[in-house]
Amino acid sequence: MRATASRGGRWIPALALGFACSAHANPGNDPLAWLQRAAQAARSTSYSGTFAHTNGDRTSTVRITHVNVNGEENERIEPLDGPPHEIVRRNDDMFCYFPDAQTVRLDRRVTPGYFPAVLSVAPAAIASSYDVRLGKVERVLGYDCQWIRLEPRDVMRFEQRLCAESTTGLVIRAKTLNEQKQVIEQYTFTDLKLGPHVARSNVKSIFEARIKRWITDSKPREEAKEVETGWSIASVPAGFQKVTELRRTLPGKRQPISQIIYSDGLASLSVFVEPNSTPRTEEASSEDGTTTFFVHPKGEYLVSVLGEVPLATAQQVARSVTRR
Amino acid sequence: MTQEISSLMDSELEAHEAERAIRACSLSEEQKQTWHLYHVIGESIRGHAPRSLALSTKVVEALQAQPTVLAPRRRIEATTFTRVALAAAASVATIGVVAWMGQGGQGGAPSPVVAKSASAIQPVSIKSTLAPRDSAQPLDVQDYLAAHRQMPSPELYRPVNNRAPAAAAR
Repeated sequence: MRATASRGGRWIPALALGFACSAHANPGNDPLAWLQRAAQAARSTSYSGTFAHTNGDRTSTVRITHVNVNGEENERIEPLDGPPHEIVRRNDDMFCYFPDAQTVRLDRRVTPGYFPAVLSVAPAAIASSYDVRLGKVERVLGYDCQWIRLEPRDVMRFEQRLCAESTTGLVIRAKTLNEQKQVIEQYTFTDLKLGPHVARSNVKSIFEARIKRWITDSKPREEAKEVETGWSIASVPAGFQKVTELRRTLPGKRQPISQIIYSDGLASLSVFVEPNSTPRTEEASSEDGTTTFFVHPKGEYLVSVLGEVPLATAQQVARSVTRR
Repeated sequence: MTQEISSLMDSELEAHEAERAIRACSLSEEQKQTWHLYHVIGESIRGHAPRSLALSTKVVEALQAQPTVLAPRRRIEATTFTRVALAAAASVATIGVVAWMGQGGQGGAPSPVVAKSASAIQPVSIKSTLAPRDSAQPLDVQDYLAAHRQMPSPELYRPVNNRAPAAAAR
């Protein structure tokens, strides 16, 4: 399939240049070019709408507005279920407003990768873990949409199907399937506006003006930087790479706990290590949709793995956590 | 026999004694109840709230007869009884391995004895339950999920003054 590239070195620069320029051009029949375009569209295009997220038994609805002005990403996310709150993001700086608690939480995004930004690495890296193919073209939400199918090359991850809007490449529907080809998680826009007429004012906080004096919680931002946790994973499943490691304060925990994040470009998992204070003596697990949680007591420490991965993946990772 | 069951739970029996006790538990309804009751008592002593006291064998059987629904994936809460079943199955498996090792543990394929005991475990549908839950310590996924997704939940700040110290401190 790659005969053109391997036949002679002189083609490679031309292809690379063509690839770099093709982000907005029609990617034709190249599935990896479609992936590249989908990743770029989530960052560089402007869009506004509401999407529904179903994971296992739970469904939630989220309003999102994303505007790119001179390369700066501005985004406002408002979950529409449960107590009101919103997340306003400027590139990686996140401001999370909780009006009920009169608290604004400052945080820094450490990994991209939530709908419709589904990819976090170059598509070529994804191709080593997934067989990427183009599916059919379908009309979704009134837009022509190209399905991209990502079939896992092993049992360590789930199958994914992404539906990219034809003119911009933005992913407007995404499904995750289990080994039995049943949909276990789905994101789908229910209404969507695309293009430059999405107003920049829509990415500003709507809650900020409602509270006179906000309590500022800046701890999450201070903690959102890479540190040496002293822990490592001896048996990382193929295709997964470490994204970062940090220490996070979780509610009800006295000390910050270690968190190491891994991703295969599509699916990610977090490894948490903390003192086993309860103490827990047995392994335990829970699965809901794609969310797998596996707890592994390791002497005086407790290892927990949470991710959008099959249980076997979480188990392999948790059981191979070692002191560096 | 009740003494044997008690000893079995405390892992004080030799392999052949354990096998006898397990067989008794699985054959006699009365012994099955004893086994169940002892675990409930054990849990109470350890300060865990005994769960599903009234869950009869019939209910468990009905649950096990259900086809495994894979979408949406959802774990059936491990009841005290299934935990007992798991423990029993684990013991049977251990006995299988011990018996095999006792036979000289020749390399290569495991002997048919092991294979047989392994297949005998299957009907208890352990495969779909995997790790038993520690019933007294429910898994608190929510905070880990929020940290993993970098999507803070309003739960983090409720109640404001005594949940997140960072929020309360100015």
